[in-house]
Amino acid sequence: MAQKLKETILNPILKGNPITVLVLGICSALAVTVQLKGALVMALSVTIVTGLSSLICSLLRNTIPNRVRIIVQLVVVAMMVILVDQILKAGEATYAIDKQLSVYIGLIITNCIVMGRIEAFALGNKPIPSLLDGLANGLGYGLILIVVAFFRELLGSGTLFGFQVLPASYIPNNLVILPPFALILLGCIIWVHRALDKDLQED
Amino acid sequence: MNTNSNVYTVIYTTIVVVIVSAVLAFVAMKLGPAQDANAKAETLRQMMSAAGVKPTEELYATNNADILQLYADNIEEAYTIGLNGEKNGDLSIAQDKIELISKLKPQHKAILAGEGATLPVYIFKGGVTVIPIYGAGLWGPIWGYVALNPDCYTIAGAYFDHESETPGLGAKIKDEPWFREKFVGKTIEWGEERAFKLDKNAEATGAPNTVDAITGATMTSKGLNEALNIWFKAYEKHFGVGAFFHALEEHAIEETNVNAEEE
Repeated sequence: MAQKLKETILNPILKGNPITVLVLGICSALAVTVQLKGALVMALSVTIVTGLSSLICSLLRNTIPNRVRIIVQLVVVAMMVILVDQILKAGEATYAIDKQLSVYIGLIITNCIVMGRIEAFALGNKPIPSLLDGLANGLGYGLILIVVAFFRELLGSGTLFGFQVLPASYIPNNLVILPPFALILLGCIIWVHRALDKDLQED
Repeated sequence: MNTNSNVYTVIYTTIVVVIVSAVLAFVAMKLGPAQDANAKAETLRQMMSAAGVKPTEELYATNNADILQLYADNIEEAYTIGLNGEKNGDLSIAQDKIELISKLKPQHKAILAGEGATLPVYIFKGGVTVIPIYGAGLWGPIWGYVALNPDCYTIAGAYFDHESETPGLGAKIKDEPWFREKFVGKTIEWGEERAFKLDKNAEATGAPNTVDAITGATMTSKGLNEALNIWFKAYEKHFGVGAFFHALEEHAIEETNVNAEEE
C-alpha cells in the first residue's frame, strides 16, 4: 500500500511527467515561463486545481452519470479555477501576479493535465490517492515550468525572480522571450530526460 | 440505483450546477470588496505614476491603504467632462469615486459612438492634470494615463499598461521606463488632425509632438497611437480652448515685455 502511494506521488514527477513524457499542458508551459515568479504562481495554481478537482471528482465517482461525466468534471474544474483566480485577485500581494498571468489562470480549465488525471485516475480510485495523484501531477508540471522559466528569465532578461543576476553589460536575448524558444528548450529537456531514463526510450 | 437513467442525469447535473454556482456566488461576494480595493489601488498607482507623485517602483512597493492616503493628499480636483468639453459630473475626492481602469472600455465605446461619454479629469496639487487613454493593442486592450503640465499643452508624464501584449516586445510600453520617459516634455497639438504621433522615425521629423514607435512591436505601437489620438480628440474641446487662451496670454506677456524694453 505504502509502496503504491509512493509510486502515485513519484511517478508523475519523474517517469510519467505530464509535460516531458505525456506531453500534456504544453501550451501554458510556453506562455507563462517568461519569468520565474509567474511560473511559480502558475505551478502552484495548477497543483491546487488538479489536486482538489481530482479529490472532488473521486468523491463523486460512484454517483456521476456516465453519459455526462465529462461535463460534470468540467464544472468541477471550472469552479476550482475560478476560485483560484478570485483568491489571487483578492490578495494584495498576489494581485499584480494575477494581472501578469491574466488569461492563463482562467485557461487552466483547458489544461489537459487536469481533465486527463480525473479521467485516468480519480474516477477509478479512492479520494486520498486521487488527491495525491493530482497534486503530484501538478508538481511534475510545475517542476518543468520552473526549469524552463529559469533559463528564459536568465537569458531573456538577465534576472532571476526580478533580481539582476547577469552583469548589466549582458544584452538580453529577445528570441528567448518569445514562445518558440520555450518549445526548443522543452525539446531539450525531453531529450535529456529520455537520455537519462532508458525506460522511456523507444526503438 | 441506475445512474444512467434520464431522470437521474437531469436531477444530478441540476444539483451539481446549483451547488457550484452557490459556492462561486458566495466567494465572489466575500472577496468582492478586497478585489475592488486592489483594482482601485492599481488605478491610483498608474495615475500617480503618470502624474509623477512618486517613482513607479515606489508606488508599487506601497500598500493599498497608503496609496489611498497618498492620493487623498495629492489630488486637488476631479471631475468628468462630456465630448463637448464641458463638465458633466463630479468625481468627489472625499468618496474616492475615481473611474477604475475597468470602466475605460465603456468610455472608449462612448467616444467612438460620439455620445454619452463621462471622461475623467484629475487635477493634482501643483496643477498637473491626468487623463486616461484606452485602445486595442495586438492581443488585447491597452490603456494608460497621460499627465499634462498646467499649460495643458506639454506632457508631464505617462504610464501605459496592457492586458496581454507580447513580453519583450509590445509589453515594453509598460516594462521599459525609457519608453514612458520619452513622453515627458512632448506636446499635444490640440486641434490638429493627429494631436500626437507615435510612429516609425517620427522623432526624426523634429516635431515636438512625436515619439518613435517601438521596434518589433509595430501593432502595439499603432494601437497606442490610435488610443492616444482618439482620446486626445475626445478631450480636445476641454483642453484645446484652454491651451489656446494660455498661448494667447503668453503671447501678450511677451509683447508687454517687448514693449517695456522699447520704452
